[in-house]
Amino acid sequence: MDEIREQAQEVFHDVFGDTDLVLRDDMTADDVDGWDSTAHINLIVALEKHFGVKFAMAEISRMKDEDQNVGGLLQLIAKKLGRSG
Amino acid sequence: MSVTSVEFIFLLLVCGAFFFQLPGRRSRLAAFSVANALVLALLIPNLASLAALSVFLLSGYGVAMLLARRPSSLLLTGYLAALVATFLVLKRYEFIGLVLPMSLIQHPIDIIGLSYMLFRQIHFLVDAMQGQIEGGTLPAYLNYQLNLFGILSGPIQRFQDFHEFWQTPQPLLKDRHELLKAILRINLGVLKLAAIGAMCFYAYDVSSSTLEQVARGFIVEMPMSRKLIYFAIMFYALPAHMYFNFSGYCDIVIGGALLLGIRMPENFDQPYLARNMIDYWNRFHRSLSHWIRDYIFMPLYKSAVERTPTLAEPLSILFMFVALFLAGVWHGSTLNWVAFGMLNGIGVATAKLWELLIVRARGRQGLKTYMKSSGVRLAAIAVNLNFACLTYLFFPTDMARTFRILNAMVGGSWPS
Repeated sequence: MDEIREQAQEVFHDVFGDTDLVLRDDMTADDVDGWDSTAHINLIVALEKHFGVKFAMAEISRMKDEDQNVGGLLQLIAKKLGRSG
Repeated sequence: MSVTSVEFIFLLLVCGAFFFQLPGRRSRLAAFSVANALVLALLIPNLASLAALSVFLLSGYGVAMLLARRPSSLLLTGYLAALVATFLVLKRYEFIGLVLPMSLIQHPIDIIGLSYMLFRQIHFLVDAMQGQIEGGTLPAYLNYQLNLFGILSGPIQRFQDFHEFWQTPQPLLKDRHELLKAILRINLGVLKLAAIGAMCFYAYDVSSSTLEQVARGFIVEMPMSRKLIYFAIMFYALPAHMYFNFSGYCDIVIGGALLLGIRMPENFDQPYLARNMIDYWNRFHRSLSHWIRDYIFMPLYKSAVERTPTLAEPLSILFMFVALFLAGVWHGSTLNWVAFGMLNGIGVATAKLWELLIVRARGRQGLKTYMKSSGVRLAAIAVNLNFACLTYLFFPTDMARTFRILNAMVGGSWPS
């Protein structure tokens, strides 16, 4: 999981242009400057490319919900890669 | 029966009080299904409508099950095209007369809530194909589509959220305080819809009728200052009516659903405090705008990012326009909705363009500073409020009347 977090953090740095960004499980879209609908898709496409996974539209939209956070996103990636959290 | 009637509220409270006295999942789901069927029976005017609704829903379920077993973009696209075409005919969209015989839309079919069923059906189909639907049995699907708390005007619930209730119909309200809050919300909804919303509509009706009399020459002399007062009342009262009416309705159905253990999505979050039209649509009729975001904007934009990354940013502005334009047109079958959709599309596209220009000129940090400025925020809210109200000039279906009034305001005469 730590490896996934590190790699995801690099993707976040590229997408949001902020190398100071440190991913926390409880972080939500509201905590990251510029995480709007277009940035969300840029992030999803970058994560899909980096990890070689594919997200369903329901998963992509669910990530934007108020009760969702980065921890859930990392777990979803881990699940798709067949690794336990 | 109106949702604000004493009978409806009484029935809601009685059902809420006894629903969880029923033993076990099956009896609760059976009671819920019977309630949905009774509401449907009240809404369906004739057998032709019932037959059309059955084909509409059952074909969607059948295709979704096929897609879940064997995903096929071709089948999904073909079915969606047929579904939307059927919807346009059933809803009697005027422009159909431009390409097809008008007799096609002269039918006796009238299905209340069909627009919302279309949204839920598209969501169900797409998610089924992508393996995101669990427990999608026919009874679950039909009750999801005909859920009495969403059948009339939403909110648009996801199947996955409805399925939580369908799987385990248990009380959501933990204690007496939460129960009282839900009942208070229902009462507040009645107050907003039946009293405040109705008063706003009365103010709109009186002011717009007076201005129309001026436009038609029935009132010959009216000072400009008085005309402006009437216009201001008309301009702000209709959006206020829309908010109190619709959010009041949502309070009633969301509160009522909670009594039966169903969590419907929230639909409003202080929309007239939005700072731009993108923000506005994240606060007004949120379940609709989230559906548009998830099933129109995001697939279009994702495809652009994957195929033409360098063009994705400018294309995002176009996609926002298209998404909101379609949302406007969806509201109704007459030409005024095209104007309403265009204005909303222009509003969100302009907001996105403005943001991109700030980022380009001042960088992300500059945008952050801009967003944090309270002066900018206040000005943005004021501008956006007036733009949102402007779009509502095209909410009434009689566009000629709207233009007569606008013409009278600039002192012109309207040919009688």
